[in-house]
Amino acid sequence: MRRRTLRLPPYAKSFRFRLYLIFTGTVALLTAAFVSFYVATEAGTYRSNLEREGKLLATILAHNARLPLFAENVKALESLAESTARYPSVLSVSISDREGRVYARQFKSERIPDDAVTMSVPISLPSGLSPESALLGHREGNEERVIGEVRLRLDTTGERERVLTLVVASLGIGTLFWIVVSLLSYHVLKRVTGSFNLLLGGIEEIGSGKLSARVDLDGDDELGRAANAINAMAASLELRELENLALQEELLKAMKLEVQEEKKRVMARLIQTNKMTSLGLLLSSMAHEINNPNASIRFSGHMIGKMLADALPLLDGVWQEEGDFYLGGVPYNKARLVLVENAGKIVENSERIAMVVQGLRDYGVGGTVRQHQKLDVNAAVGAALSVLACQTNKDIQLNTSLGTGLPVVAGSQQQIEQVLINLILNAMQSFTGGHGEIRLTTRCETGGEEVLVEVRDNGSGIGSETMERLFEPFYSTKLERGGSGLGLYISQYIVAEHGGRLELTSCPGEGTLATVTLPAATC
Amino acid sequence: MQVLRSLLFLLLLLTPLPALAYDVLIVQSMHEKGYEEAVRGFRKECRALSRMIVLSDYADLDLVRIVREEHPKVIVAIGDRALELAQRQGETPVLCMMALNVKPRRWVSGISMLFDPARYLSLFQTLGTDRVGVLYDPGRSGVYVKKALAASKGHLRLVLREVHAPKETPAMLQSLRGKVDALWMIPDVTAVSAASTEAYFLFSQSERVPVVSFADVYLTMGAAAALTIDRYDIGRQLGEMALDMLEGRDPEEGMVSPRKVLSRTNDGVVRQLKLSGLGGH
Repeated sequence: MRRRTLRLPPYAKSFRFRLYLIFTGTVALLTAAFVSFYVATEAGTYRSNLEREGKLLATILAHNARLPLFAENVKALESLAESTARYPSVLSVSISDREGRVYARQFKSERIPDDAVTMSVPISLPSGLSPESALLGHREGNEERVIGEVRLRLDTTGERERVLTLVVASLGIGTLFWIVVSLLSYHVLKRVTGSFNLLLGGIEEIGSGKLSARVDLDGDDELGRAANAINAMAASLELRELENLALQEELLKAMKLEVQEEKKRVMARLIQTNKMTSLGLLLSSMAHEINNPNASIRFSGHMIGKMLADALPLLDGVWQEEGDFYLGGVPYNKARLVLVENAGKIVENSERIAMVVQGLRDYGVGGTVRQHQKLDVNAAVGAALSVLACQTNKDIQLNTSLGTGLPVVAGSQQQIEQVLINLILNAMQSFTGGHGEIRLTTRCETGGEEVLVEVRDNGSGIGSETMERLFEPFYSTKLERGGSGLGLYISQYIVAEHGGRLELTSCPGEGTLATVTLPAATC
Repeated sequence: MQVLRSLLFLLLLLTPLPALAYDVLIVQSMHEKGYEEAVRGFRKECRALSRMIVLSDYADLDLVRIVREEHPKVIVAIGDRALELAQRQGETPVLCMMALNVKPRRWVSGISMLFDPARYLSLFQTLGTDRVGVLYDPGRSGVYVKKALAASKGHLRLVLREVHAPKETPAMLQSLRGKVDALWMIPDVTAVSAASTEAYFLFSQSERVPVVSFADVYLTMGAAAALTIDRYDIGRQLGEMALDMLEGRDPEEGMVSPRKVLSRTNDGVVRQLKLSGLGGH
């Protein structure tokens, strides 16, 4: 059900109108209360005045009538009653004795209204002294002797008319008073709220954003002080705004510079990534180009081996029969060993080339992750070292300490090799003078549940600022030297994928320890 | 021992006898300041042995038996009630004072409450009035008014109005309008009642004539002057009469007027009515 809301005209919402409404309403209520109180009081006063007047008239009549009543002077009593009945409010007068005999009676009209006020006063003789008492010195008595009664009926019509006149006059005066006060209050409120409107206008103008606007209000009163405060506030805001604008300009300039630098860094990373992508493609292409002749070499090696195996008995027979002879300038006894050995080496190295190429290919293109394989960490270390064999030089001493009886780890050997290659490369690049020692250690921890691979170098170490951002992608201190900023990021990802953790601890100037912890494979 | 008992018995029998041996039996109507003032004056003058009886102390007093048994030489009655009771016995002479309704009896004498009319007439003459209005009940004050009328002849004119009931007083006063120069208020209970007293002073105000009264209490009500009795001196005057009787001399017969007159005036009324000849007292 929709609630019906009272729509007020705009002027009804103004402070001036509400104040005027409250003021005039209050004045109207007070005037009405005062008029009611006044009329009620005056009405009561009229009645009490009427009763008092009647009592006074009756008392005077009783006083004047006591001697005529005592003397039974009917004529005098009638004269008194007649003179009393002349009063406008008196409807009837009667004077009677103690036995109720009426000596005088006057009526103004035959019909006396029911609400006429009846006033009865006894006629008493004073307690005067008798001659005996006066002569004998007796004390005067206090008792008055009642000899009759005066009864007046008083007309209340005049009272009603006077009350009605009073009500009309009071209402008229009250209404006039209310109108005059309302007009005066309107002018006063207009004058008072004019300052409010001026203040409000100034505040709205300032609030709309025009901080240069000011409230043009003079005076030492509260409104004047409020206007001064608002003007001061506007001036302060204006000053702040100017300062903000200046700061914004400076900020924009700084941001522009920062964006340009960031843009440069991003572009460098993009270039590096592009390089890596190109390198991957190059590696794939190289692998393909190497694999074909290598396959031929390996095939040839196998063929040479088989042929040699078939030829050796014949050659041995010849040697036995004909004695020693030379092959390629080498006596047969030695050449036989060299042939067997070299034929094996051809195959073995060819397979090794194939493996290396496969590794390079997987590294560049991204090989299939074989997480469910079981790998030997020591084998992965050996494979990584074989890949990096060409990178090592005589100034860098690479020591390995491989643990025995290590449990196998579930995961991709190729990926673990990649991790190790990254860590060893980082260690190799940490030597500022090109001299240093890298110690590679594998061991079993926590009762054979975890396998640790530690790569420790005594290079320059990592600063604290760099340490915080080590695992951020594309963050590298060697971007200008071909770093991609992805090595540690990818390594951490791979280790995490294997359920392990990669931790680096470093002390600047003393070296860095990289620890790969991998969970042992469950049976 | 027997003799001693007899003597003691006789002593007891004879002991009351001195108390009963008195000459004056004072019978007072009630305990009243005015009566006691008069008694003080009486005792000041007459120091004979006396017995005092206040009638209001007894519900029913047999005075005749007391007089018969105690044989006082004279009975002093103070007040009308005491006088009425004393008059019931006819053996002992009665002296009375402070009584207004004295019936003439042979053995009754005393001090009247009424001054000699000549005293009032002298006052009216001092005031310079010619016509003096008097209201009276012939049954009560006829003798006194006649005496006054006789005394006034040749000096001033008394305008008399008879009233037979108190309610006639206002009308009779109205009948004196324009006919009198002064009003004489005499102690007549018919002419001057508690209810009609006011009429005298209203008449005085309206006609601007002075009222001369018999008691100073009326001065406060509007009387111009009053000739009042001195109760103490009345007592002394009666004491002298009692002494005469006790000493065997015959006192003055009948009721004697008080010898001392106290004159009082209301200065305000005197000033308003512009009366000459009256000084403030």
